[in-house]
Amino acid sequence: MNTKMRLLKRELDYQILILPVLIFYLLFCVYPFFSTFYYSFTDYSNMKLDNLKFVGFDNFKGIFDSDLLTISIKNSIIYAILMTVFQTSLGLILAVFLDRKLKTKNILRSMFFLPAVFSPLIIGYLWSYIMSTSDFGLINRAVTALGFAKINFLGNPDLALYSVVGTQLWQWTGWAMVIFLANLQSIPKDLYEAAEIDGANSWGKFWRVTLPLMQPSVNVVSVTAIIGGLKVFDIIFALTEGGPGNSTQTIMTAYIKTVFTEGFYAKGAAFGVVFFIAVMIITMVMMSFLKKWGEQTR
Amino acid sequence: MKKFSVLLLTAATLLSMTLAGCGNENNAPAANQGEKKDKVKIRIAYWNKEDSVKTLLDLVKEKLPNIELEYQFIDNKQYQNIIETQLTAGAGPDIISTNPYTASRYAKLGYIKDISELADRYNDGGKNVYSVDGKLYAIPGISWFEGMFYNKEIFEKLNLKVPTTFEEELALHETLKQNGIKPQAMGAKSWEPMMKSSMGLVMNNFLSKAENKDFDVQYGEGKTKLDGNWNTALEQWTELIKRGYLTEDMLGVDYDQALDEFATGKAAMWQSGPWAVEAIQTKNPNLKFDMFPFYGSEPGAGWLIGGPGVGFAANSKSKHQEEIMQILDLISTPEGQQAFWSDNKGGSSYLKDVEFEMPEQFTSVSETLKAGNVYAPWNNWGDTSNVIEDYGKNFQYVLSGKMTISEALQAIDKKTNELIQGKAQ
Repeated sequence: MNTKMRLLKRELDYQILILPVLIFYLLFCVYPFFSTFYYSFTDYSNMKLDNLKFVGFDNFKGIFDSDLLTISIKNSIIYAILMTVFQTSLGLILAVFLDRKLKTKNILRSMFFLPAVFSPLIIGYLWSYIMSTSDFGLINRAVTALGFAKINFLGNPDLALYSVVGTQLWQWTGWAMVIFLANLQSIPKDLYEAAEIDGANSWGKFWRVTLPLMQPSVNVVSVTAIIGGLKVFDIIFALTEGGPGNSTQTIMTAYIKTVFTEGFYAKGAAFGVVFFIAVMIITMVMMSFLKKWGEQTR
Repeated sequence: MKKFSVLLLTAATLLSMTLAGCGNENNAPAANQGEKKDKVKIRIAYWNKEDSVKTLLDLVKEKLPNIELEYQFIDNKQYQNIIETQLTAGAGPDIISTNPYTASRYAKLGYIKDISELADRYNDGGKNVYSVDGKLYAIPGISWFEGMFYNKEIFEKLNLKVPTTFEEELALHETLKQNGIKPQAMGAKSWEPMMKSSMGLVMNNFLSKAENKDFDVQYGEGKTKLDGNWNTALEQWTELIKRGYLTEDMLGVDYDQALDEFATGKAAMWQSGPWAVEAIQTKNPNLKFDMFPFYGSEPGAGWLIGGPGVGFAANSKSKHQEEIMQILDLISTPEGQQAFWSDNKGGSSYLKDVEFEMPEQFTSVSETLKAGNVYAPWNNWGDTSNVIEDYGKNFQYVLSGKMTISEALQAIDKKTNELIQGKAQ
């Protein structure tokens, strides 16, 4: 007991240093987090904080009646799945390819990684010009020069969401590639030699050696991709503003519209709570799936 | 334990140093307050750059030496958000820039003060949208309006005249198209242009009729619907889409790109307002252009979509009510309006008996402005005026062929109903 106390006291010296951060964290993260739960059960709207009434689950009931919220949930799920699948697979392909002995490998690596450095807003405005249907649209100029009809990337309600996914993949695949590369380089060479002795071709080596040992980085990339995909906001804001119509509204853009444009604070809070729970469940399911996969391959 | 105290002391010193750092900044002006100790600091927040009110700020400086006016620019996209947060906390700028919707909201919540003493100086058109229960809550700024800019050179070359009806406007489009010129540019990626274009015809053919005088107020109260009322006018308006003058392509084009198309002569017309003049002239100083209004089936002066621009309101929690009123009073004089206008040329003043000479880019809308035909339906929709965003978004579906007029109007009515229900809770 005595030693424990002494240990605690010695630790306290250092723990005092985290106090400022802890205070900010409690004030700006933990408190708003719990107050959101609280407000989601009240009739908080139009900024009035006095005389709040408890309304039970009323705010939650309204969520699925709203066309905006249902379409945004659908879009977010499509978006997150596409991002996770393509970012992980394309990143992996790029990493394997650039892990070979190429003369241009360093230049290529930096080129693929570069987009990840820029703010999504910049990327958004840049690509809105590249994909534009006006005479300034780079892609459409090429397309029409080849004799094809213009592609309405951002203006076609059926295509807009996929154009946003494309832009995001362009930005973030290089980031995934870097994570995978780091992992690839930690795989011992003798494992490949052993596999060669056992008669494995390059496909077999990838399938039996590389992929199983890549599990930690696949975890990181796919979990961040799915969470990032579900809470996407900035790129949508810059590229389409949720349009045309509501065809690229996602959970976050709809949330901001509900709260700040329409002034439905409590309904927005309820939506936030549902979103939080949904992300938590999806992430937990995914983590347990990835864990199982990890155990199988070990 | 000794080490702990040392650490604590260090932390405390560091903390006090940071705090002192903040304090110093505030104290600095106090040191030379000698000469201007009577100056009261008044903060005004607005979503337009300081340039757009510079002359007005200079006038305040000159006429009211007792006041130090601090200008705060907040980007339009975050403006409402930031101001509302400040107001909720009982703070906020002394003079708050509002639009009709937020003015009515803040008035009902008691955040802004009744300034009816200034009401008599303004025309009804300006003060109605900033009044709640007959009391004025913000002084209406210079008006904004939107019509159709046209390239005078292209028009002269093809011997085209400014239309007087919607039919003539369609014919105009056709001639341009036949001659291989894109009739109009539109940045329909934003929800606004389609909304305004379609409402232009509704104002001419439906809202301007005597029997529909109260339609907008009733709509805001949920007593009537767009579906069943606006359909005829809007079906007629869709000729622009059916004949291929407004195309799905435009949904992939934004405001700046559309401006580029017009300014560089790639498109003959572009719907916008006085705020775009400078940008057009910067892009192409040689472009000769003018503006005509939206027309209906019958010949007439036509209508421009628009209304009172920014409204300036007094924060009811401010400690300097007297000084705020001095500033609002100054803006509400012909001199104040002149100063405000000189950075917003093209708009008009709502102050009684004040008129300005219009710049040459607005020759063809002079009759419309004289007739007072400047109107924005949603300004009278009250608490539900936010629904125009949904209106615009549903009309994007109309342009892409995913919705009929009737379906779009039903969806907008449903959303309006949702907003009314939500606010009533």
